Amino acid sequence: MSPEQKKYLKNIKITKFKIIFWQIFLLLLFFILWEVLVHYGIISSFIYSSPSRIIKTIIELINDNNFFIHVYITLKEVIISFLLGISLGFLIAIILYEWKTLAKILDPYLTMLNSLPKVALGPLIIIISGANIKSVIVMALLINLIVSVITIYNGFLQTDEYRLKLFKTMKANRWQTLTKLVIPSSYQTIISSFKLGIAQSLVGVIMGEFLVSKMGIGYLIVYGKQVFNLDLVMSGIILLAIISYILYKLIVILEKRLLKHTN
Amino acid sequence: MNNILEIKKITKNYHTKEGEIKALNNINLNIKKDEIISLVGPSGCGKSTLLAIISGLDKDYTGIINKKDNLKMAYMLQSDALLPWLTIYENAILGLKINHALTKENLEYVDYLLNLYKLKEFKDNYPKSLSGGMKQRLALIRTLAMKPDILLLDEPFCALDGQSKLLISEDVYQICKKEKKTVILVTHDIEEAITFSDRVIVLSERPAEIKRIINIAIPNKSSILERRKDKLKEEYFDLIWKDLNNES
Repeated sequence: MSPEQKKYLKNIKITKFKIIFWQIFLLLLFFILWEVLVHYGIISSFIYSSPSRIIKTIIELINDNNFFIHVYITLKEVIISFLLGISLGFLIAIILYEWKTLAKILDPYLTMLNSLPKVALGPLIIIISGANIKSVIVMALLINLIVSVITIYNGFLQTDEYRLKLFKTMKANRWQTLTKLVIPSSYQTIISSFKLGIAQSLVGVIMGEFLVSKMGIGYLIVYGKQVFNLDLVMSGIILLAIISYILYKLIVILEKRLLKHTN
Repeated sequence: MNNILEIKKITKNYHTKEGEIKALNNINLNIKKDEIISLVGPSGCGKSTLLAIISGLDKDYTGIINKKDNLKMAYMLQSDALLPWLTIYENAILGLKINHALTKENLEYVDYLLNLYKLKEFKDNYPKSLSGGMKQRLALIRTLAMKPDILLLDEPFCALDGQSKLLISEDVYQICKKEKKTVILVTHDIEEAITFSDRVIVLSERPAEIKRIINIAIPNKSSILERRKDKLKEEYFDLIWKDLNNES
């Protein structure tokens, strides 16, 4: 290896290290500042809680055997609605792609559903599905499904025209064109729809839990507000932030695996 | 030589909201076995449309095309249209796979072609590792793998830079001669048409009609580079140039 190459590689490493350092630094700074401000009474510990109180609350939850059940319920709801959303979204996108006239007919309805605030459907969902986990999942599904459909369908439409023509000249049938060209071409968009889908599922699940649930992190937040235990509210928010980050990272790992060879 | 393909009175209209556009008008053409012909004409005149009709991709026309029932045609397009998620080998056999023709004989032929075109050592790599010229060569292998009786080349070199264009067109020329392929080349490059083919068909502006058919009598058939040096080339060039510019 030449010295220039070594220097180049070293520079990449240094830049990467710097970025991680600053990311951790900002996080620590935020928590330390928060703790210090509360400690010296500059901001109210009752309203803003503090990192130490959050940790204490979480430990209490763990000791009362409540922590894992709430996290588990929320995760379960998110994952079920996410998986349902992307698989249904994928299926509907295929149907729309294969039947373009249908897509044109449904276009205004999709646009309308996309911009409709789904939370407005909350009361209706509760009446139909009951005040239970089913309602939460339906809520999250409604929120992530339309986005998945639209994103994946638009991805399909962007298939390279020359590659489509190539498949035509090879006399490929519709199924072959779909499975060997259109879907693989859209890996990038499909992954993007996963990223959107996971975020939307979280939004939907928390919204659902606010409305109906007796379990889950959304419930913890609402309960905390009702009994004016803002440590609980803050703990819920921090937990959500951690969960959404982990879920997002999992999809990024999947993305790297799937898109290794695509330009 | 007998005709491998006979095109009689082909007329094609496009239908748009604004009205009917006549694309091709009364095209008559016989193509002999093992001959290389070029279609040249102003851009947008309908060269590619004619190719699509010949290949059977476009069935919306009037006229008659006589050909043997089992005549196989394969396309090479102006974009290499490689699939980046498949390896070079998987790209090469794509057409065979789609047509359920992955026989031992066909696969051996692909190996032979990959070897001949110096792509064998990269066969497990992905297309992004290839240069522009290599990608186009791979696209040619993918086309040849189908063992077509007629090769349809739809401006296959137009996306390449000058040097790769010469090299790859030379490659294609050599293999067409060696494998005795019948070739129809669509191009807007007059020099390419002359050096590549036995006959040049000059089309008029839309609606395209055959304006002139030139038999290219350059005796040297060893290579495109040699044919470029022939004096006759200049004469043909002038002739076609005038044909194409009379109208505009």
